[in-house]
Amino acid sequence: MSTGLRELVRFHLTGESNGDTRREQPGLRSALLAPYRDLSELRYDYPLVLIERDADGVFVRSLSSVVNSVLEEIAPAGAEGERLRKHFLRLDATMRALISKGVEATLSELWSLAERELLSKSDEAAAELLRDSLSRPGGAPRVDGVVIDCDDDAPTRLFEHAWRMAQQERSRRALAEIDELVLKLSDILKADFLKSEKSQAPKSLEGSMGTRFEDAFDFEAMSRILKTALPKSALSERRRERIQSAISVLESQRFFAVATDAAGDADPSAPHSFVFDSCTRAWEVFRERTPEVIELLKAIGTAELELENRYRESEHDALFSRFDETSLTPEDLAFFPSYLIRLHDTDCQGPEKASLIDALSSGLPLKILVQTSDILGEPSLGDGQFSLGARGLQLASMAVGLNGSFVLQSASSNLYQVRDRILRGLTYKGPALFSVFTGSHENASGLPAYLEAASAMQSRAFPTFAYDPTVGADWASRFDVEGNPQAEADWPVYSFSYEDADLQRVSEEIAFTFVDFAASDKRYAGHFAPVPRSDWNEGLIPANEYLELSDDEARGTVPCVVMVDEDDVLQKLVVDLKLIRAARRCGEMWRSLQELGGIHNSHALKLLERERARWEREKGHELEELRDQAARVPGGGAAEPAAVAAEATAAKDPPEADEQTRDEDEPYIETSRCTTCDECTKLNARMFAYNENKQAYIADPAAGTYRQIVEAAEACQVCIIHPGKPKNPNESGLDDLITRAAAFS
Amino acid sequence: MSVAAPKCLLWSDREDYTLEDYEAGIPRWCTGCGDLAILAAVQRLCRDEQLPLEKIVFVSGIGCSSRFPHYMKTYGFHGLHGRALPVAEGIKLKRPDLHVFVNTGDGDCCSIGAAHWLHAIRYNMNMTVLLHDNEIYGLTKNQTSPTSRKGLKSNTAPRGAYLEALNPLSTTLGVANVSFVAQAVDWVPTLLYEIISQAFHHKGLSFIRVVQRCPEFLPTLLDPWVQDPERLLVLTHEDGVQASEELSRTYRQQDAHDPSELNRAREIASLTDQIPVGILYRNDDVPCYEDIRCSERLVTPKTIRASLEAELDKFTVWPPSEGREGPG
Repeated sequence: MSTGLRELVRFHLTGESNGDTRREQPGLRSALLAPYRDLSELRYDYPLVLIERDADGVFVRSLSSVVNSVLEEIAPAGAEGERLRKHFLRLDATMRALISKGVEATLSELWSLAERELLSKSDEAAAELLRDSLSRPGGAPRVDGVVIDCDDDAPTRLFEHAWRMAQQERSRRALAEIDELVLKLSDILKADFLKSEKSQAPKSLEGSMGTRFEDAFDFEAMSRILKTALPKSALSERRRERIQSAISVLESQRFFAVATDAAGDADPSAPHSFVFDSCTRAWEVFRERTPEVIELLKAIGTAELELENRYRESEHDALFSRFDETSLTPEDLAFFPSYLIRLHDTDCQGPEKASLIDALSSGLPLKILVQTSDILGEPSLGDGQFSLGARGLQLASMAVGLNGSFVLQSASSNLYQVRDRILRGLTYKGPALFSVFTGSHENASGLPAYLEAASAMQSRAFPTFAYDPTVGADWASRFDVEGNPQAEADWPVYSFSYEDADLQRVSEEIAFTFVDFAASDKRYAGHFAPVPRSDWNEGLIPANEYLELSDDEARGTVPCVVMVDEDDVLQKLVVDLKLIRAARRCGEMWRSLQELGGIHNSHALKLLERERARWEREKGHELEELRDQAARVPGGGAAEPAAVAAEATAAKDPPEADEQTRDEDEPYIETSRCTTCDECTKLNARMFAYNENKQAYIADPAAGTYRQIVEAAEACQVCIIHPGKPKNPNESGLDDLITRAAAFS
Repeated sequence: MSVAAPKCLLWSDREDYTLEDYEAGIPRWCTGCGDLAILAAVQRLCRDEQLPLEKIVFVSGIGCSSRFPHYMKTYGFHGLHGRALPVAEGIKLKRPDLHVFVNTGDGDCCSIGAAHWLHAIRYNMNMTVLLHDNEIYGLTKNQTSPTSRKGLKSNTAPRGAYLEALNPLSTTLGVANVSFVAQAVDWVPTLLYEIISQAFHHKGLSFIRVVQRCPEFLPTLLDPWVQDPERLLVLTHEDGVQASEELSRTYRQQDAHDPSELNRAREIASLTDQIPVGILYRNDDVPCYEDIRCSERLVTPKTIRASLEAELDKFTVWPPSEGREGPG
């Protein structure tokens, strides 16, 4: 072992080295991140436009997709549309730059702002062309909404927006239904009033006639005449009160409003607010509002029964009085708005954590967003363990175990890709936990938040997964790790090209591991030591390969990561053992998730192995038997044993059942073919009767004469009555009847 | 309707309906009339679906078959000659929660009500239409109807009908927006029930022509088909009706017809020697008129008042002091 390598091994094992080998260079980043220096120059998922939900249920779109839609509409393919594409992509880039500078605006405002900026930077001729392009019909976005970038607030804003959209739709439907109930209940009261004496009073009649003809009528006389013909039926006092009470509850409910109003509970008639920053508080409020929920549900129940005239006081009074919070089902609660709780992982401690677990186990529609901005935490070099298990990660894994909760974990960089799942979780009738890594912890890495979040997902430090209890009953249906890069692999591997010292292009495959993620974090600088180019040798192996080696195999090698400095010069850094241990742990956690998601599932693999062994054993036996049989039969071919087997199988099959035998002497009707024509039943209703499907059968053959049976058979147009033989040998004209009956035997 | 009322509160009083619960009075139809088979099948459907009595309405025009509503203990509307369909449409528009059935005869539907028939098919409102086709005016005692076959002698055509009969299936299949067309015969009750049941579950206008016997005026007209099961072509398909083993023993002529194939349906509808029985055409994607026209907004006295105010405001001349724009 060379001196240099020995020194590197020493650093790897102890984390210490002679001199200043520790990494002090700022701005180092994983080599795979080298192309992403300025994100505002790139077109990717962010910025996002939080649009009002359209008919297809879309609540968010990426700025790129909005611009692409405009271009698809107005820019013809080929050279003809090239100028338009160029101009709109410049507009796109300008909007990105504005957003990255912190501009807060809606899409339409941003669009105008970017247009003005572009025009101001162009000379007159170019401005004219640009103006022409941007003012084309269809050259404006079809959607509008606030534009957000990938920052610390992005998850909160996106989830609040999605939740509000979902609630607005629910509120709109609920309000329409409640209004309809109120209208129909009022109609009952109105109809009752119209039957009352009061409605026929001269004043009422005059009011209903309008002002134009009031002189043409004698309302006193009209009232006298109409009162003599008043209907007798009227609502009972109890029913009227019940209906009035239901109307009053329905009209004063505070759960649904046309527009979301966050006014809170200060105004006693203001709509309730459903957004909270504490689980404990949300839980308390939910309990406080339960009596209102019950009252509203009872009012709706009463209304529905009353409208169908099905309210039975003897039954329903007792049912309604017993209806309390223990009677509420998830379906009942699904009618009401869900509660959105916004938390940071640092909030999830002590009582708040207990409340959160209670909330997730409750089955109630509480939607909890937990944001994590730091996965790695402060390094604890002393004990050799890293925090790794961020609270958000722990919570999501734990919530999956609760079975009844919808769980989605994702880095904020990936939120646009999981937008449908976000909506599913928000509209799910039970609790939902959304654990999001924002990747914007201050001072941690020099990377933009989007890149840090994406790195966390790529490195398996914060993988994406979802548990959706609404799809199927088993884990295979409910849980998946879709969306993770190269989910089948331990670590994703990408092609990396660079220029070597001889100015030649070199390409190699580089895995992005947990070590690469930690390498960008300056708090972890002490775990890496740069290797002078003179010491690059075969003993330096990529961290992902090192992680797969046993201790014996690893002897004489040192794990390293490939990074680039601020000048994009390639560097190799040795990784110390503590970080390698942390990477192993991260890999194990990822493999557990893979198993849950059905990738390399150990149970399935074991079962597959067992079944394969069994299949091979059985086939082996069968083959031996066939060989034995072939050997016993002189000249027997392979077909013969099969023929023998077929015969044996045939012998085992039961003989085909005989047609059901029927006593030919007894009369009968093919009931299923009866057309209910009444011919036979009119002849003798005791002998012929209808079954529960109103089809005829012979109820009592002795209830009439043989003549009647024969006549019925003759009258039956579908000829399904079979008279059988006469029972009474003394009946007159029997010979003739038997001859006539023969046609129906 | 069910908004959000807890189910335990709503379902506590559900009744268990028997077939007799749907029966009202003794039918006045002639003994042996095909209408009796249709009545029995419809009553059985209501029982099997446990339809609340107050949620059903039968609408009819004039004719033997149009006495149908009298024999159902549900809502009924015995209307004007040929006008069953527009009445039914009005009911469905105003009360979409009701199950609407229409009973109409060959004279009622295909003659005086022909215009309503075509437009009802085009409107495709969710209802079940039963065309009781006995090829004769029976109630008015033996006159030629549009479906009477050429040469049939009657009181109005003693030398025999001069024209080819109108084919209700082909006609219906030629109308835009047609969504469900089936044919049944009154003398195979199992298929009659099955077809009515599938029609009931179809969302849209289900048109069933029931070929039925008139024992009084045309007692032997359909005998060749009644007595020879080989002349019945049963249309079977996994999306249509499926003939049981027992039925298949009697009715052996079967055709695996896919109800989504409109052109093949039209060919089948034109058969003359055999009577096709089953679902000729079904398209679940045709929108219903009541859904197209359904207003998103609830029409309440308040909204009507607001709309009127807004409309009248367009013609209001405001004093200049109010600073509001007038009509001009």
